[in-house]
Amino acid sequence: MGVELDRRSFLVVAGLLGLTACGSNTGREGSAEGTLRHWYHAYGEDGVQDAVRRYAAAYPDARVEVQWNPGDYDSKIMTALQNSAVPDVFEAQVKVDWVRQRQVVPLGDLLGQTRDDFVRALLDSQTVDGELYGIPQAIDTQVLYYRPSLLEKAGLTPPWTVDELLDAARRLTTDGVRGLFAGNDGGVGVLTAPLLWSAGLDLLSEDGKAPGFDDPRAAEVFGKLRELHRGGGLLLGAPTDWADPGAFVDGLAAMQWTGLWNLPEITEAHGDDVGVLPFPRLDADGAESVPVGAYSAMVNARSADVDAAKAYVKWLWVDKTEYQTEFATAFGAHLPARRSLAERAEPLRDGPGKRIAELVTAGGRIASPARWSARANTALSDAVSRIAREGADPAAELRTALDVARDEIARLDR
Amino acid sequence: MSGRRAALAFWLFVGPFAAGLLAFTYVPIGWSAYLSFFDARNTVTPTEFVGLGNYADVLTDRAFLDSIGTFTVFAAFVIPTTVVLALALALLVNQVRVARAFFRSVFFLPFACSYVVASLVWKMSLFSGVDSGVANTALGWFGGQPQAWVGTVDPPLYWVVLVTARLWLQLGFYMILFIAALQRIPAHLYEAAWTDGASPRWQTFRHVTLPGLRGALVAVLTLNLINAYQAFDEFYNILGDSRGYPPFARPPLVYLYYTSLGSGGQDLGRGSAGAVVLALVIALATLLSGRVLRRAG
Amino acid sequence: MRPPGYHRTPAGRVGAVARWAALVVAAALFLLPFAVLVRDGLGTGWSTAAEVFSGEEIPFARSLLNSTVVAVLQTAGQLLLCSLAGYGLARVPYRHAPLVLRAIVATLMVPTAVTFVPSFVVVSSLGWLSDLRGLVVPGLFSALNVFLFRQYFLDFPVSLEEAGRLDGLSRWGVFRRVVVPNSTGFFAAIAVIDFIGSWNQFLWPLVIAQDSSTWTVQVALSSLLTAQNPKIALLFAAAAVSILPIVLVFALLQRYLVRGVTETGLTG
Repeated sequence: MGVELDRRSFLVVAGLLGLTACGSNTGREGSAEGTLRHWYHAYGEDGVQDAVRRYAAAYPDARVEVQWNPGDYDSKIMTALQNSAVPDVFEAQVKVDWVRQRQVVPLGDLLGQTRDDFVRALLDSQTVDGELYGIPQAIDTQVLYYRPSLLEKAGLTPPWTVDELLDAARRLTTDGVRGLFAGNDGGVGVLTAPLLWSAGLDLLSEDGKAPGFDDPRAAEVFGKLRELHRGGGLLLGAPTDWADPGAFVDGLAAMQWTGLWNLPEITEAHGDDVGVLPFPRLDADGAESVPVGAYSAMVNARSADVDAAKAYVKWLWVDKTEYQTEFATAFGAHLPARRSLAERAEPLRDGPGKRIAELVTAGGRIASPARWSARANTALSDAVSRIAREGADPAAELRTALDVARDEIARLDR
Repeated sequence: MSGRRAALAFWLFVGPFAAGLLAFTYVPIGWSAYLSFFDARNTVTPTEFVGLGNYADVLTDRAFLDSIGTFTVFAAFVIPTTVVLALALALLVNQVRVARAFFRSVFFLPFACSYVVASLVWKMSLFSGVDSGVANTALGWFGGQPQAWVGTVDPPLYWVVLVTARLWLQLGFYMILFIAALQRIPAHLYEAAWTDGASPRWQTFRHVTLPGLRGALVAVLTLNLINAYQAFDEFYNILGDSRGYPPFARPPLVYLYYTSLGSGGQDLGRGSAGAVVLALVIALATLLSGRVLRRAG
Repeated sequence: MRPPGYHRTPAGRVGAVARWAALVVAAALFLLPFAVLVRDGLGTGWSTAAEVFSGEEIPFARSLLNSTVVAVLQTAGQLLLCSLAGYGLARVPYRHAPLVLRAIVATLMVPTAVTFVPSFVVVSSLGWLSDLRGLVVPGLFSALNVFLFRQYFLDFPVSLEEAGRLDGLSRWGVFRRVVVPNSTGFFAAIAVIDFIGSWNQFLWPLVIAQDSSTWTVQVALSSLLTAQNPKIALLFAAAAVSILPIVLVFALLQRYLVRGVTETGLTG
């Protein structure tokens, strides 16, 4: 008895095996060789996607494919940086871990003489061990929007302290309208850092060598977030999240913590009846603040052509100032990352826009420092979530988060 | 047939599959065990040996222990409910004479639906937090207040969303198993029971139907347990959002995903250690449940 | 089962009414999510559905194509590899066959929770991220299917095979010309289960398909669902379109599906 595979069947089997065996290449299947893959998170503002695709198409020296990533963009980037040649170029805020593992490449040489034109604090935030890893694209900020008419009706003045904010959230709540919206997780995601700043604390100490919230006041201020949750004035379960102006525009909430980028939509809906505030301070020892995010263009070290990717980044984010201006100001409001462009930014000349620009200058804080690791961040936001949403003991929860943060900082310095 | 030729024939048939299984199941497991002893942050080829460090980390990591707790709670909800409801559906469908195929198809249809699509319908429509959501509308008829189902942690209303989604998706599958088992029970057993004067409902069920379903019950329980352990899709899609995942209701697979690959730190060493610990837990649970089921039977 | 004539007794009548009521209510509840999907997905008219395909938000048409390719290749590959292996294990009198069988069945005890991180490591080291091979190949080796095929072939009538031998067919010839043609029902049952499983899988493509040109439809839907500001009409339209192929498979091949479920569930 023999086994005689007839030819055709043998080819099928061989083909399947071939599929498994023909092995390891760079993973750059799916599009033509020499194409640069450029990832963005999904901006909510209409028009951004069209614009960045237009920029990519205009690049003369290579084909650029833009990938729009709705969903959990941070996780996606982390998974991709692990071992993938895709994307070649992406927007993110640099993490020390990426630098240590050589997952991103230095870009300082792209700036040339324009270095002094970029907002210094932004460049610093994307710098690790003296090397720049991301070219800032624009400044994102978040502020507290409120409706002056509603405050007036409730006999309130704009809240400048955390207690006043809690009080306002409670008293602005009427039938069908909640006082404050800060995301469907009740502010755990977006208010953690501003709460620390309001108590005069921070994620990291000034030199970055220790956690910045090893202080009883941290427990106190997160206790305030718990109070806010229990007070009934917080909107939860809205159809859109904090980054979208929907809840505020549709009148589901009297105040909303959201981005400067939503300013045009908000003023269109409420006209003059819009006020903006920084995040209030806890007391005289704390400070008002507005968080500053700086998505920056970075290059994946595993890219098949790092030099081509760098050339493209230089073209788009250093040379093409008209694109940079449009990107920052034409679709929802952002502050340009370069001083020479900020002067030209139309929506920031008067009204709330001007006010926000002033707030950033006065109290802008970097929301995601490079030395603040993903694991430390998860530990802290888990702690804050348990405190605020489940009523866990603030001191005990923060101790756990502190331990993780200390571990992480020690690891980065090893 | 000579031993050599048999060996050749055997490997020609089994070889392609065996090679694949080796490459995509055995090698990964070995590699994972290896990684679990190294500091493998952001890398699959680590160099720094850390001994049992990752195991110590993972076993003292509250999030990991919580994930096992979450699985336990989830399984404790889902498994008994699934068994009871699937059996009830099977009995109902099996007893009607008219439109039996129709009902069977209706209950079975969700099996073809993906967890992602079900999550979408559950999160955005059935249990949407707005007043016009289906569940909130139904609450309104009975004078209830609208709820933010997915977002309410205290009390944990999100469990209602997660559990009902899974029930809808999997009940039909288990119902089919029960129906198949019901139809294998020989009719003469029923006839003998009635002749002995057993009451047509409860006593026949207790003494004929239930014993006849023993094999199916064991299968349903085991599959259910394994599936609950693998839970990921509906958790990720219902509770996760563009910022990541909340600290509650993180089953083991969600924990591993965020720890090893997602925004939780790209730590493959710790993720691998967690996977090894989970493997041991599963092996132990399977062994124990097997023993318990045998004793019960 | 009920005694003959039971349904005409008063207790039997009450039972029948209650049973019908329960069935109708349950059926309504089971159909509700589909109704919602159709209402919100297609109720806004075909224009939203068309927008899903043309819109730039996600490469939806591409993702449908990817899902189809992955599901077809995976189903075909599994049928081929697993039936061969199952037949070899059932019929070839090889000394170490029991050992090999044990090595295969042992992997059934190892759930995805344990293997998905290491599998990612292996696949990424092969350079198969964002690559069709990475999506398809690791899923081809289903120990469960091998086990089911083996059980099935053990029960296959030996007399048929012997007749084939007498006609001068080799072992391979017997498998191809006698066993397979007489087992189409079983192959179809396994195929339907595999196809649905492959179409609906999520975690694996989520970590492997990073470049959006390789997204499957589940990954595309999920990215819209977990977006910062989900476009709900678009989302429902996309979801409704995504389940059409599978509902079709379900409607046409339900007979095989039921058989497949019974086999995989009760034997597995």
